[in-house]
Amino acid sequence: MTLDLLPPKATARVSAIHLADAEAAWVRAVGIYEGETVSVLRRAALGGPLHVRTGSGGEFALDRGLAAAIEVALGDDGGAP
Amino acid sequence: MNASASCHQEPGTEAASSLAVDLDVALVGRPNAGKSSLYNALTGGQAKVGNFPGITVDLLEADVPLPAGGRARIVDLPGVYSLAASVDEASDEGQARATLDRLLAGGKPLLFAQVIDATQLALGLRLTGELLERGAPLLVVITQRDVLDGLGRTLDAPRLERELGVPVLAVSARDADVRARVLAAIERLGTRATDARAKPFDADALARTVLVDKPDAKKAELRRRERTAKADAILLHPVLGPVLFLGIMAALFSAVFLVSDPASTLFDKLVSLLSARITTALGDGWLTSLICDAILGGAGTVLAFLPQIVILTVALELVDASGYLARGAFLVDRLLRLAGLGGRSFVPLLTAHACAIPAITSTRIIRDPKQRLRTMLVLPLMTCAARLPTYGLLIAAFFAGQSALTRALIFVTLYLAGIVFGFLASLVIGKTVQRGGRSLPLVLEMPAYRVPQARVVAHTAWRAAKRFVREVGTVIVAASIVLWVLLKVPAPGAPAAVVGEPTSATTTMQHSIAATVGRKLEPITKPIGFDWRINVGLVGAFGARELMVSTLGVIFGIENAGDDSSPLVREIRDAKGPKGERAYSAATALSLLAFFVLACQCMSTVAALRRETKSLKWPAFVLGYTYVLAYVVSFVVYQGSVLLGLG
Repeated sequence: MTLDLLPPKATARVSAIHLADAEAAWVRAVGIYEGETVSVLRRAALGGPLHVRTGSGGEFALDRGLAAAIEVALGDDGGAP
Repeated sequence: MNASASCHQEPGTEAASSLAVDLDVALVGRPNAGKSSLYNALTGGQAKVGNFPGITVDLLEADVPLPAGGRARIVDLPGVYSLAASVDEASDEGQARATLDRLLAGGKPLLFAQVIDATQLALGLRLTGELLERGAPLLVVITQRDVLDGLGRTLDAPRLERELGVPVLAVSARDADVRARVLAAIERLGTRATDARAKPFDADALARTVLVDKPDAKKAELRRRERTAKADAILLHPVLGPVLFLGIMAALFSAVFLVSDPASTLFDKLVSLLSARITTALGDGWLTSLICDAILGGAGTVLAFLPQIVILTVALELVDASGYLARGAFLVDRLLRLAGLGGRSFVPLLTAHACAIPAITSTRIIRDPKQRLRTMLVLPLMTCAARLPTYGLLIAAFFAGQSALTRALIFVTLYLAGIVFGFLASLVIGKTVQRGGRSLPLVLEMPAYRVPQARVVAHTAWRAAKRFVREVGTVIVAASIVLWVLLKVPAPGAPAAVVGEPTSATTTMQHSIAATVGRKLEPITKPIGFDWRINVGLVGAFGARELMVSTLGVIFGIENAGDDSSPLVREIRDAKGPKGERAYSAATALSLLAFFVLACQCMSTVAALRRETKSLKWPAFVLGYTYVLAYVVSFVVYQGSVLLGLG
């Protein structure tokens, strides 16, 4: 599943970032990296960005197209694995 | 500024300046980590904009004494997330990294002071690892200790220090002894090379180890999240959120201009008073006119903008530092991306409806350099307050017979035309001059809500005011003098004034260089309905758009047309052409309105663009494309109106 499809309030873990190397490195540096837990707090109207919280305490507005390139894995219970 | 603060000269003079400063200290950290607060605490707010070859963003630096007598130059760098990930070199982050590289290569003793927000320790420590690999001595300053306390957690700073092998200070920006502690630590560390170079560590694991939970930590964290969640539930609501954002921004923007208006009026009165004194002392004459109309007039324009710049800077700083601006960008990002702009472009676009000058300054809040430039390039198309007197004059002259609703609709159409053409221009610019590369997709940190620090806000406003006067103000005064020459100096070959016979302002204007230029331009402007008189008005309006009415007043021989335009309305309506025919029609008015909406008729805007883009190319581009666009649209409007029988 990709991050843009993660249901609100569900927590998952980032498993892969499918972006060009430079862009992926920057996204990781900002605070969204493989192994980090993420949850989607809300979505802006009209296909706007996602409001995402990470396990390290950061909250980000994330472009929806970018979120579609971030693969996340849910645990068996629907939470972070 | 003290003498040693001027250490940043051209490369050739660095040897001399190194005598004054023993050590460069680069403040490094993620955006919103608290660097500005620490910079202000260390330097007492004193700052000059550093001159770093090849660096185009303003980097603040200050020279401070160290406790035992040495001196350190503190350089405040823009926020960086990583030293390794590739970023656009023109972005703030790219510029920060380029500066670090230059400082490292410069050979002067250098120390990194990394600022980390305690509530985002793991993220900050990822950058620490990269800084350690660079080999320069490193001091880690953990800020927001009080916020961390409030969350029921404490930092085991001694343990973090042992694990990293570099000194660690935990501070709160409100501590009275921050300056003394940090400067003492800088001095102790001095130029000592780090022994922790390239020692890898797991930032997440280390953060978990050194952050110690108090018994009620979870509860405190939950309470904090609940408070933030409650505020966000309202402020980021899909429907209510954008409405509130638009409302709050509109209120803020109105307040800026309401508050700054009395100050601008006061400056205006002071300049008028001074002009009157000078006229009394020197009598009428070209020297008095040069001093009063050109120099004082230009200075008056600068002073009229100054309160707006200061108050807008304060307002934006408050909105940004409180964490609300990032949320606003989240709300409107999608909408503005349709036009090739982004969420953070909203504030400048709104501000430009009052005045483009503060709006251009406010584009500094846009992190993506491409988006920032594109926003600046389209801002002059928004209808600013200075266009209104001309709109009013033309509507009164040619549409007085129409209903109030029709006149109101014309006003609204003019405003909307500015916005629509602005968005279209943004799309075209994105596909032409800014083609290639792409805008950064939105990855924007949403900081926790915070109370802004008054001291930081005040220093920022003070610096904005100084910068405006120094860098935009001087250009405005110079351009004002050039315009004075065009409007007052007789063109070569013009009939000389008869000695002893008073020359009226209208006669002077009719024989001026501007009038000659206006007549020469007639073949070009005739297809859009303008004669030489309108052309001269447009030349005068380049000084400031509001001067259009008074310039036309002088041309038509009406004194003080700026104060009461009704005689001018009649003159313009009844004006005759060279063959005695009616000179202007509703078609002329519509064409001139279209021209006024679109052409960048404002030397102050050009000066501000030059200042913010640090180039002549972009102001020239804005002048070029807005005038071509204005001409084409005016042509279509004029010829179309004539065909419809309005000519």
